Amino acid sequence: MTMLSYLLLSGITTGALYALVALGLVVVNKATGVINFAQGELFMVAGFIAWSIHVQFGFDFGISFAGAVLVGFVLGCAIDRVAFRPLLRADVVSIVLATVGISFMLKGIGRIIWGGKGDYLSFPPITSTDPIMLGDIVIVPQQIAVLAGAIAIMIAFALFFRFTRIGKMMQATADNAKAATLVGIRIERIYTLAFGTGAAVAAAAAVLSAPLTLLYPDMGFSFFIKGFAAAVVGGLTSLPGAVVGGLAIGIVEALAGGYIHSSMMEVSAFIAIMLVLLIRPTGLLSFHKARRV
Amino acid sequence: MDILRRRNVMAALVCVAAVLPFVANPYQLFVANLIFIYVLLSVGLNLLLGYAGQLAFANAAMFGIGAYGTGLLQVHFGWPFLVAFPAGALIATAVGLTLALPALRLTGLYLALSTLAFAQFTQWVFLHWEGVTFGAGGFKTPQISFAPLPVDHRHGLYYLSLVIMVALVWFAGNIVTSRIGRAFITVRDSEVAAESLGVDLLRYKALAFGLSAFYAGIAGGLYSQMLNFVSPEGYDLFQMVLQKAMVVVGGLGSIAGSVLGAGTIVLVLELLREFKGAQEVVFGALLLVFIIFMRGGIISVIKRHIPGWEEPLHRAPTRPEADPPAASPLTPPAQERGAS
Repeated sequence: MTMLSYLLLSGITTGALYALVALGLVVVNKATGVINFAQGELFMVAGFIAWSIHVQFGFDFGISFAGAVLVGFVLGCAIDRVAFRPLLRADVVSIVLATVGISFMLKGIGRIIWGGKGDYLSFPPITSTDPIMLGDIVIVPQQIAVLAGAIAIMIAFALFFRFTRIGKMMQATADNAKAATLVGIRIERIYTLAFGTGAAVAAAAAVLSAPLTLLYPDMGFSFFIKGFAAAVVGGLTSLPGAVVGGLAIGIVEALAGGYIHSSMMEVSAFIAIMLVLLIRPTGLLSFHKARRV
Repeated sequence: MDILRRRNVMAALVCVAAVLPFVANPYQLFVANLIFIYVLLSVGLNLLLGYAGQLAFANAAMFGIGAYGTGLLQVHFGWPFLVAFPAGALIATAVGLTLALPALRLTGLYLALSTLAFAQFTQWVFLHWEGVTFGAGGFKTPQISFAPLPVDHRHGLYYLSLVIMVALVWFAGNIVTSRIGRAFITVRDSEVAAESLGVDLLRYKALAFGLSAFYAGIAGGLYSQMLNFVSPEGYDLFQMVLQKAMVVVGGLGSIAGSVLGAGTIVLVLELLREFKGAQEVVFGALLLVFIIFMRGGIISVIKRHIPGWEEPLHRAPTRPEADPPAASPLTPPAQERGAS
């Protein structure tokens, strides 16, 4: 029993992380209809930037968090201007390849700047490292921080889309870009904002999780593909779907790793994705009409 | 300018490649051989991505399957290279054909994800099925000899790659000018239109996936033999982006473009061999610059400025041999270009 609850807990924690990456992808996809393949690299770069601010320059954690989120937002906007805006009318193949190009540039830059100092950087813990006992279950406070962060970001998004002007404009653009233009929404700005917001979420996720994982230049891709998978499980346009998808993938991974074989951990998510896509190509949680992308 | 027509240039390149071993040092020969292998890969990927429009991310995995298949059949069963090599390519083809099944239900990003997941799964198998694949360390493949022929291993393999590459590029050129190629393009441009025209989606998608996997499998077999070594890291995501970059830089939907793109990228790769980070930055940037500013790739510039580089979708009649060079491409038909 303790094994199961332990596995579930660690699954939920990594799942929350995947959910955050997925939220970033969904925000971009909702507005623009594309997937930013550089999302994982944004995650990686933001983690490194927070590390630099916190460890190299000695500022406290709050500042490094804010700094990384800000840099993430700016990078996201830059990706929109460089790789998406010029391709607005291009096919999805070109846009995907353009963001793949960006992701490789970011990875190379990460390797040049931070990779030289030994490939793995560790982020000092921000919460106390003493585990908390809940009955038989052991919880590391950092896991709670990740979960709380994920929930907070999700709630913030829900409020943002329901109550703010920009949020409503984003929804309108996602629903029908042409109609949005007709009522005076400058959809290109919305696209930029969507990319920026998606990247900022990735940055927040990176900083929250940095103390749990080591930072290294190649880390982005596995987070990207897990986040992408989570988003697909949720149907690519649903924010709650992304969270559920993230948790589901985190839990599947943890259980497969615990009960089958530790090496199953990396691959179970991929097997699950292939199965999900074959059975329900539009995502498990999408009840809307299939959206072709 | 007529001497710069596509066929003449390609023929000249082949002639240069044929005499290269007599003047080049081993390193240059190695790079040339590498180019042949990447030409095979990018031509295969272009059939899938540029012609049939399937955004699949599994080509590097097929390359790996070809290499592992060829190498493992030699190591475990003691098959000679010349048997293991086609067998490896066939294994890759079979896997590629099954990948067409998800492609029937999925398009665009969903297909990208499922093939990406498949590629990661393949990597995992290479890494963890240690009893068979020897895990992360990889394994050495036996070096073949071309005994009856008066060539050593290096030159023999070079000519083998050259012959296979020329044959398969020629074959691809014929495929795309046949009804198959036109069906691919219809599938790419609109699946609905393709179906209403009577194009069988399953058949042509399977054909596209199978063909590209076959090309990748052949390339993998040659690559494993060229290095005499197979390990998982040669067939990872970077490899995939490399191939994508070749296709995009050369020109999506152009066989001649894939040849030029592969040559260009391999040379850039060699120039940047020292700097791992810079390699990634340069490839990302190349991909981006070509997608944004030169959508058609190198080939579109050549097509615009040099006459005689068009790649017709129909089996256009070529000029008669004796025609004066001034003849326009509209010269009346003469039977040529044997059926493939």
